[in-house]
Amino acid sequence: MTFGDGVKAAALLFVAAVVQVSIFSQLHVFGAVPDVLLVSLVALALLRGSVVGAVGGFFAGLLVDTATLGTLGLTSLVLTLAGYWIGRYGETTGRARAHAPFLSVAVVTVLYQLGLLVVHFVLGESAPAGAVVRSLIPAIVLNLILTAPIYALVRRLLRPAARDELTAEVQLLG
Amino acid sequence: MAVAPPSRSARAAVLASSVQRSKPTPYPSKARSALIRRAVVLALVLIALALITISFRSPTAGALHDVQGAGSTALRPFQIAATRVAQPFRDAYNYFSSISSTKSENARLKREYRTVRQQAIANRALAIKVQQLQRLLHLEQGSRFPADYQAVNAEVTSFPSGPFTHTLEIAAGSSSGVRLNSPVVSGDGLVGIVSNVEPQTAVVTLLTDPSTFVAARDVQTRVQGMVHTGPGGTLILDQVPKQLRVKKGDALVTDGTHNARYPDLYPYGIPIGRVSSVNATDTATFLQVQVTPFASLSSPDAVAVLVPKKQHR
Repeated sequence: MTFGDGVKAAALLFVAAVVQVSIFSQLHVFGAVPDVLLVSLVALALLRGSVVGAVGGFFAGLLVDTATLGTLGLTSLVLTLAGYWIGRYGETTGRARAHAPFLSVAVVTVLYQLGLLVVHFVLGESAPAGAVVRSLIPAIVLNLILTAPIYALVRRLLRPAARDELTAEVQLLG
Repeated sequence: MAVAPPSRSARAAVLASSVQRSKPTPYPSKARSALIRRAVVLALVLIALALITISFRSPTAGALHDVQGAGSTALRPFQIAATRVAQPFRDAYNYFSSISSTKSENARLKREYRTVRQQAIANRALAIKVQQLQRLLHLEQGSRFPADYQAVNAEVTSFPSGPFTHTLEIAAGSSSGVRLNSPVVSGDGLVGIVSNVEPQTAVVTLLTDPSTFVAARDVQTRVQGMVHTGPGGTLILDQVPKQLRVKKGDALVTDGTHNARYPDLYPYGIPIGRVSSVNATDTATFLQVQVTPFASLSSPDAVAVLVPKKQHR
């Protein structure tokens, strides 16, 4: 990953975090909130791998926690793991598949919500499991609607990485 | 040194050589990248956990809180800018959302209004019925109620259908003790007389029927007469000589039985009506006394049939 790509990725996540905190967090559709930051992170991790996904998730979460004056590190922890997991999925199997972004967003939406629920529960804060579970399907649908345009935008912003830049599980010799 | 045959290529010769292959190395780049990857994730997770711990232990004070506050302040302009950019879209969304919610609220309020209106109408109808039943109960429990009669309460199932019909149908018949020629009253006064009896129903001929004649007495002047329907279809008090005095506003009640041989069908004291006008002409033998019945004969909801406790001979 080049320095320019890093700047672009940082700018992308910064804008996504600000937009998420300022605008999208107030859009409640059937009890769910569309998560433009999560979808952007998934797109970034799929295109740039697990390390970029983890680091991007950490700093995006830090921005969200800072802007909302929430428990610092809480969103970072969950987004770090989400970015890493999606990055690994992209590196190993999913990168070239057309359905990879949609599958990743659907799965990560569920894991992200449940992860936040668990962390809040562990910290002894309010953890309304029923409301979270009821909002899962609308949240998945909303995020899937956002996936196509955001993935296309991120793909245009960050050119696909050269094969030798990626971490691969299988390396060819000769 | 081995010589390769002429047909074989130089590459094949190399592959076929007896040079020992080196043992596979553990791919240092792959191992290094996996290690870096795991180290980065582990470090980030640990930092996040540390931040959570510190932030959770001192949520409102401390250096981390100050840093977070400064960060939030720094982010504020961007948030405000984003909010302002999104404001027109949000306004449009709120506009359509409010239209949608207003429509649904309007529909809900209309449904509620219809329900409440139906309940109010039903309540008013019930109140009228209750009022009539209360008056009927008051009559039955009052001192004016004839002692040797018992009341059979009944609902009116059909009303007079036009100016030529002077009968009611009630939901009580011979099985309830209703007998032919039993007087029928409402809470306000005399309604008529039973003219036909079935096991479950009975027909009541109203006071306004031309065939109905009721011996009556003016309670103020004690003048006696006969109430029946006059030539114009109105109730009149007939057979009152001109020298007797009847005043407008006097109340009339049934006169009751005076002759044991010909017992009156109506017991004494049932209110009939009020005198509405009194006229006397030189040529007529009797006073022309018009009477307005107390009972609403066109729409009584509940009536009581007065059944004698002892059967007349």
